[in-house]
Amino acid sequence: MDKYLYENYALFGTVPKEKRSLTDLARGVLANPLYHYLLFGAVMLVVGFLSATKVLPYSLQSGMAITFAYSLASVGFCLLMGYSGLASLGTGGFMGIGCYAIHFVMTEAGLPFGVALVVALSIGVVLGLIVGVVSLRIEGIYLVILTLGLSEILRNLYIAVQDSIYLSSFKLLGITIPRSASVYVVTVLLVVIMMLTHNLIVSPTGRAMLAMKNSTAAAQAMGISLMKYRLLAFVICTVYAVLSGMMLMITIRSAMATDASGFYALITSLNILAAVIIGGFRSIWGAVFGTFIMYGLQTMLLNRIPFLQENPVIITFVSGILVVLVVMFYPGGVAQLVQEVRMKLRKRRMARREEKYGKD
Amino acid sequence: MAKTKLFPTAQQRLLPLQQRRRRLQLQLDALEQTVSARQAEKLAAYGAKLDRSLMKDAFAACDKEAYAQQILEQKLQKFDVRQNMDRRAVNHGCSKAIFTAVEAGGDWQELLKKQRQELDALEHKRSEYLAKLTAEKEAFVAKNSSADGAGYEKAKEKAQALYESRRTALETEGQQLVAKKRAKLTGQLAALDRRIAGIRSGVRSETLPEDVLLRVKGLKMYFGGLKAVDDVTFDVKKGEIFGLIGPNGAGKTTVFNCITRFYDATDGSIHFVNKEDEVVDLRQFQVHDVILQGITRTFQNVELVREISVLDNLLVACTREYQSNLLVQALGLPSLKREEEALREKARRILKFMGLESYANWLAFGLPYGILKKVEIARALMSDARLIIMDEPAAGLNDSETAELTETIRRIRDEFGVTILLVEHDMSLVMNVCDTVCAISFGKMLAIGTSRQIKENPAVQEAYLGVEGDA
Amino acid sequence: MAYLLNVILGTIVPMCVTALVTMAITIIFKTSSTTNFAQGVISAFGAYVVAAALNKLNLSIWLALPIGVVVAVAIAVAIDVLIFRRGRYVNALGKQIITMGLISIIVGAIPLIFGMQTPQFRVFVEGKVSFMVGGQDVTVTVNALVCLAITAVVLTAIFMMLQFSKWGLSVRATAANEYVAGMLGINTHVITAISWGLAGALGTLAATMNGGINQVGVYFMTGYQVNAFLAGILGGFATFYGPVIAAFMIPLANNLVVYLANVMGKPELSSWSLVIVYGLALVIIFFKPEGIFGKRTVKKV
Repeated sequence: MDKYLYENYALFGTVPKEKRSLTDLARGVLANPLYHYLLFGAVMLVVGFLSATKVLPYSLQSGMAITFAYSLASVGFCLLMGYSGLASLGTGGFMGIGCYAIHFVMTEAGLPFGVALVVALSIGVVLGLIVGVVSLRIEGIYLVILTLGLSEILRNLYIAVQDSIYLSSFKLLGITIPRSASVYVVTVLLVVIMMLTHNLIVSPTGRAMLAMKNSTAAAQAMGISLMKYRLLAFVICTVYAVLSGMMLMITIRSAMATDASGFYALITSLNILAAVIIGGFRSIWGAVFGTFIMYGLQTMLLNRIPFLQENPVIITFVSGILVVLVVMFYPGGVAQLVQEVRMKLRKRRMARREEKYGKD
Repeated sequence: MAKTKLFPTAQQRLLPLQQRRRRLQLQLDALEQTVSARQAEKLAAYGAKLDRSLMKDAFAACDKEAYAQQILEQKLQKFDVRQNMDRRAVNHGCSKAIFTAVEAGGDWQELLKKQRQELDALEHKRSEYLAKLTAEKEAFVAKNSSADGAGYEKAKEKAQALYESRRTALETEGQQLVAKKRAKLTGQLAALDRRIAGIRSGVRSETLPEDVLLRVKGLKMYFGGLKAVDDVTFDVKKGEIFGLIGPNGAGKTTVFNCITRFYDATDGSIHFVNKEDEVVDLRQFQVHDVILQGITRTFQNVELVREISVLDNLLVACTREYQSNLLVQALGLPSLKREEEALREKARRILKFMGLESYANWLAFGLPYGILKKVEIARALMSDARLIIMDEPAAGLNDSETAELTETIRRIRDEFGVTILLVEHDMSLVMNVCDTVCAISFGKMLAIGTSRQIKENPAVQEAYLGVEGDA
Repeated sequence: MAYLLNVILGTIVPMCVTALVTMAITIIFKTSSTTNFAQGVISAFGAYVVAAALNKLNLSIWLALPIGVVVAVAIAVAIDVLIFRRGRYVNALGKQIITMGLISIIVGAIPLIFGMQTPQFRVFVEGKVSFMVGGQDVTVTVNALVCLAITAVVLTAIFMMLQFSKWGLSVRATAANEYVAGMLGINTHVITAISWGLAGALGTLAATMNGGINQVGVYFMTGYQVNAFLAGILGGFATFYGPVIAAFMIPLANNLVVYLANVMGKPELSSWSLVIVYGLALVIIFFKPEGIFGKRTVKKV
């Protein structure tokens, strides 16, 4: 309330700041999408803590950790498919790189996590570059099959090198992290990755990728190098998948390459794809939500229903039906649904206002 | 598609250097302005700090009556805003009820009375609130003793002295900063120039006549046995509107796909005076580097990004202008935001020029075709091109839109000083707007000249209308 | 020499399975312009039906096979009619994703219908044939020969029909351009439905052959499907024969790598055989994206 003082006594032309009320402040925070991710992370950390201390069901934290670990791959895939218009079925194979880096660097060689991270990411970047170069020559369906082939090569390579891998104990910065605490690591990483990806999407890079997706000719005429952005998209996607594999290894601690429904089988690539489709091609939140449907729903909620506990395949069945229905009738996925609901709510609010106060 | 060469040619290596040089030059030109703006910002922040520290003394010195009055008014204003909404709700609800009552032949006068009562109640509430505020005000004035100006005057003088010394300090600091940065930038520029000169000494440079912007000479493009373009030669002069016409399948689009490097021409040369005022052989560049030389194009079928706004679509053309690298973009640092804002401002200016400012925040998806065509032209203007190539800009437009387009093309040429190359078969547009017209048919040159000459040229008439007596 | 022969003869069944699956995938690719990722699980479903007929109804395999084929055809046609035809305006990627969704549906449905346990399976004919080459034994199962004969007959019949029948002409026309084919009076709906049915039948046949030599499971055809996709682009989807020839080559190459590894005295290399074969295939595809038998097309801007 110092407006009067400022108007009459300020010497250097300072304009008084409006004091903002708490609701205004909250609204300002909610208007910035980056804070949404932070808020989400904070809530999830609290839920994870409550679950680890058995206030909430104990199985919740492992379900969350698994969902978030897979979500890393989904977010990368969302960037690849929704923004660059490229598709790949190599996700599963790329995730294996993270798993094997952890096994060989940490379990076998006994080196710290940082080394495993550097090794895995370097291999991931190289592989991403290779697929990116391939994508310049081979497009569309052919590219999908080719990445599928690459993923199979990787899987057979894993089988040939060592079928069963494990991680006995996990240390980060000298602190031993038990399995039940891995949820914190995964959550923090996911929030960071989501924020970075969000920034990229709204940056010139995101726009360039969208331009490339819509029309390669127009994009090139605008100075966008297909090579640069395709390589970039694949590198990001691959790196995220590698991180996802590492996080899964930290969460689950063991993996089998010959397992037909394991981490790096074809089914993982398909599930990640389905997750992104269900969530909506171009939405980070959608990708995470879709992953929750594909991976989290079962472990966290539905396993409590005895019927589903006996018939876990029902979830696979239903998720398949969901994917088909979404592609056929709701190509925008859950993100589109949320958008439409929001629009509807807004319209209803406007209508109620008009009902009460009359037209403006 | 043009083949990617494994090793970059000298021209390609020059490209990023020149781009960096241009940016450095811009920084250097704007150096004083940026520094003084930053210093002014600092000074203002300091002033605000001083102002804040003054407020306590100011309160002691102020007229308590006026101070309290203003607080009262502010509170009352807030109250009124809320009450106006209530009043509106009462009016709206009652008039609706009265209306239905009149229709049904009910007792509407009773309702009218009720409305008046409710409004009176609101008025009563307001006067009650006002009385409460007045009481508060009087209590405040009574509690705080009257004005004491001496302390304020002393503080004021002190603050003014501090402000002055701060200002001079900032000014000298700014000058030093400018000198330091200028030395650094000039050094960088000189080093860059040396590198550029070193590379350029190995390049055999062509010369073009003073007024020529683009010279296409002996251009040939064969698809297997098909001679899509066969020996086409023309000059585009600076600042003119050049039309390339021909019947369907004449090879117009192929010619300009060769210029913009979407096709790698079989033979022939394409020379262009680029943004650095030097003659370059366009055939040395990759398709996405052509825009950096100063050539941009529009598409026959609108090729915009549907998922983002019109404004963002314009920014797509500036992808290569950003200095922020990937890391800066991923972290969303302020330097990126500053860059974005400057480019957005430019985009808004161009949208305004095109009369599209009201569409700036619309999604490109679902806008009418005529608007989208204009957005494409606006996007072409974003890259500060020297030559804009338009691929059948009139396709899909009606007569009035075509007339408007004619006007727009002229205005663009005059306002932005760009040269325009039209590829078109809408003869009315070409004849109206073009200074020079080149007609081709079946890949071969027919004629080149002013639009009148072309119209009267028998070969062109034959190509368009068929040989007399042949029909 | 005898060892090499043994290796080649041991590859007969995988070659037949891959060839049949590749044919199925190629036909759907040509008529519906999508890669059917669900081919493997549809085939597996057929195999489960065959197994159910074998074990629950105690039929012979020659009677069980047609039952499986009929069910698989019904499912495949239903997929085309109920899903693909309605999603006509879904783009190519969307269609692929639908087939991926179908995988989940069928993978979920199989245990619900047939239970969790692995079904027992039978070969067509028991028995072995041995002969001497250069003083060494060469053995081949009768089943492999029967599979080879069936595959030869079926594939020859399909190629003949494609080349000489009215149906074949319609399929080729639809493959060239579905829209134009429709305008020329070809009922493309019927053509695509028949293609899907044929793919289902071929898949079941392949799965039944595979069931004789491998354990039946939900994903037991997936490896062959991956091989078939690779064969498709390796041979080039432009022709019908290209993918099938490539399909014969991939399992053969795989076993030859194993053979070479053993001959060179490095048996540990044999577990890398698939890596080597796939790697080779990818390298070939990278340098010849249109496939070994495909033709390069000029892209217009």
